[in-house]
Amino acid sequence: MRKPPIHTISHDAIKAWRITAVLYEAILWIITIVGLVLHFVIDFPIWIVWILLAISVVSTYFFVFLFPKLRWKRWRYEVFEQEIYIQHGILIVSRTLIPMIRVQHVETEQGPILKKFDLASVSISTAATTHQIPALSNEVASDLRDKISALARVDEDDV
Amino acid sequence: MSEPKRLHPATVIFNLLNGIRYSVFFIVIIFVTLNDIHLIYAILGEIALFTILFIASFLSWRRFTYTYRIEEDELRLEYGILVRKKRYISKNRIQSIDLTQNILHRIFKLVKVEIETAGTGAEAEASLNAVTLVQGEALRKELKTVVKVELAENEEEIEVRTPSESISRKRLLIAGATSGRIGVLLALGGAAFSELERFIPTDFYNQAYSWVVGLGLIILAVMIVAILFLLWIIGIAGTMIKYWNFNISKVNEDIVITCGLLEKKHITIPLKRIQAVGHVENIVRQPLGFTTVIAEIAGGSNEKGEQFSTVLFPLMEIGEVDAFLEKFLPEYVTNQSEITRLPKRSMKYYLVRSTLPTLLLLIAVMIIIPQFAWIPVVLVVLSILLGYLQYKDSGIFIDGKRISLSYRIFSKVTMIINHKRIQAFNKKQHFLHRKEHLATVQLSIIGKMGTGKHYHIKELDEQTVEELESWYSYRGG
Repeated sequence: MRKPPIHTISHDAIKAWRITAVLYEAILWIITIVGLVLHFVIDFPIWIVWILLAISVVSTYFFVFLFPKLRWKRWRYEVFEQEIYIQHGILIVSRTLIPMIRVQHVETEQGPILKKFDLASVSISTAATTHQIPALSNEVASDLRDKISALARVDEDDV
Repeated sequence: MSEPKRLHPATVIFNLLNGIRYSVFFIVIIFVTLNDIHLIYAILGEIALFTILFIASFLSWRRFTYTYRIEEDELRLEYGILVRKKRYISKNRIQSIDLTQNILHRIFKLVKVEIETAGTGAEAEASLNAVTLVQGEALRKELKTVVKVELAENEEEIEVRTPSESISRKRLLIAGATSGRIGVLLALGGAAFSELERFIPTDFYNQAYSWVVGLGLIILAVMIVAILFLLWIIGIAGTMIKYWNFNISKVNEDIVITCGLLEKKHITIPLKRIQAVGHVENIVRQPLGFTTVIAEIAGGSNEKGEQFSTVLFPLMEIGEVDAFLEKFLPEYVTNQSEITRLPKRSMKYYLVRSTLPTLLLLIAVMIIIPQFAWIPVVLVVLSILLGYLQYKDSGIFIDGKRISLSYRIFSKVTMIINHKRIQAFNKKQHFLHRKEHLATVQLSIIGKMGTGKHYHIKELDEQTVEELESWYSYRGG
């Protein structure tokens, strides 16, 4: 059995994911509340409101409280001289190997939520696939980008 | 050849036809709306539209020039009506030059030249819609110093020493008969009918319906068989027209394919753009021992075939594949006999995956229209069979620096990929897989139009996957 990669991503990732999830859940809650209001105003069927409420509660529990933590626990990466090794996934665990000589470019990006926690994600593209390591601390992310970029500068045989 | 040249004036006709094809919607709209006012307006409107289309076609021909400068080894295109574009392509960057002739081209003795570089777009980098055959040939000769292969006239003139293979008429007929196009045609016919249905008057429809019902079962059955037979014949004709006089040859570092009855094609594939080679056996061909040899080519090749891969040979016996590859692509010959199949315990996943949709359908039909339940029952049985075949046909085999993998969606596919062509390796396991020591593998290679092509082999033994991972990893074990 191959060992999993050793590096974890930033612990703040959990907070960032929670905030993102809260924003999406808010939409669901608003729909639920609108349903409830409509029930009192125009006699909208109450059972639909109950279903909406159930979905909101359950999905909020999963996406805001449970999954971010599990996801963080599973997320691992490791950069070797010859290749990049990534593991992620809660139910389905996915492990990916990307050889350095196949890397076309690396980039870091930072959305508004990641910026709040001083995080950034690193995207690694080959000619066929793109892989993202989410939520590394800004410093680690740019170091990683430079490191991969330097390692990927090996002589390429024909593609 | 360094003076700017225009395309053949017949381009105007091509452009016009293209314009009409893209504005069919407008033509109909204009006619319908103006016809409400008066027929004259409708006709005037159409004339105006056609005039605009014609002027646009004419101008886009007038304003399109191409130059080939030998001194600088560059092909220069200038085009555009309002926005002028200049595109310079260096000879060294040109990967392939494809010549195509459709019926119109052949009337005027013209040819369409498509020039491709390694860039990955859906369209060719440079497309000369119509130049004379002589100019097209000359252009290809200038841009690509390869042995001359005549396109239209004397096909026998191919150099003797270059390996070459043609398809026999008999094989082509079998290829047509087993192409499985009948399904596609049925779907197209159905779609066309449902569109037409709205225009057929209800009276006529009802009359026709009662007429058909009045015919009785036997005549109805005969009619259905006749229609299916007709579609089958159309399918055969379609395949034969497409692959007529199919010839593949290897000229230096390129694979050259010529084929087509109505539309003649001449395709050049540089060997180094080939990402994977394999063969596809569809459900009709497999029991007869026939297969189609295909290749995955990086970049935007315009030749579509079986499952959007490039067809290297339309039909051959399964036993001939090795000899064929030996002749054209010796680096892709592998011994397939030691292929690692799936363990028994992964069979259930395949069966569940393939039968689940049909089982759901069965339940739905049982609830809504129980008298038709036999149809989904048949589908369930077929899907069990398909699931079993998918399980049985999946496997991988590592042979030195190559891997061959086989899998089935509907057709059985066997692909051979070089280690250096694989862009990324991915292993997936869900919790049931982990318990049972199974894993799914995904290998990615460069596909068409800048996207990747991903091969999945599901539920392999974890042991096999680990061997594969060590094989792929650049760190070794």
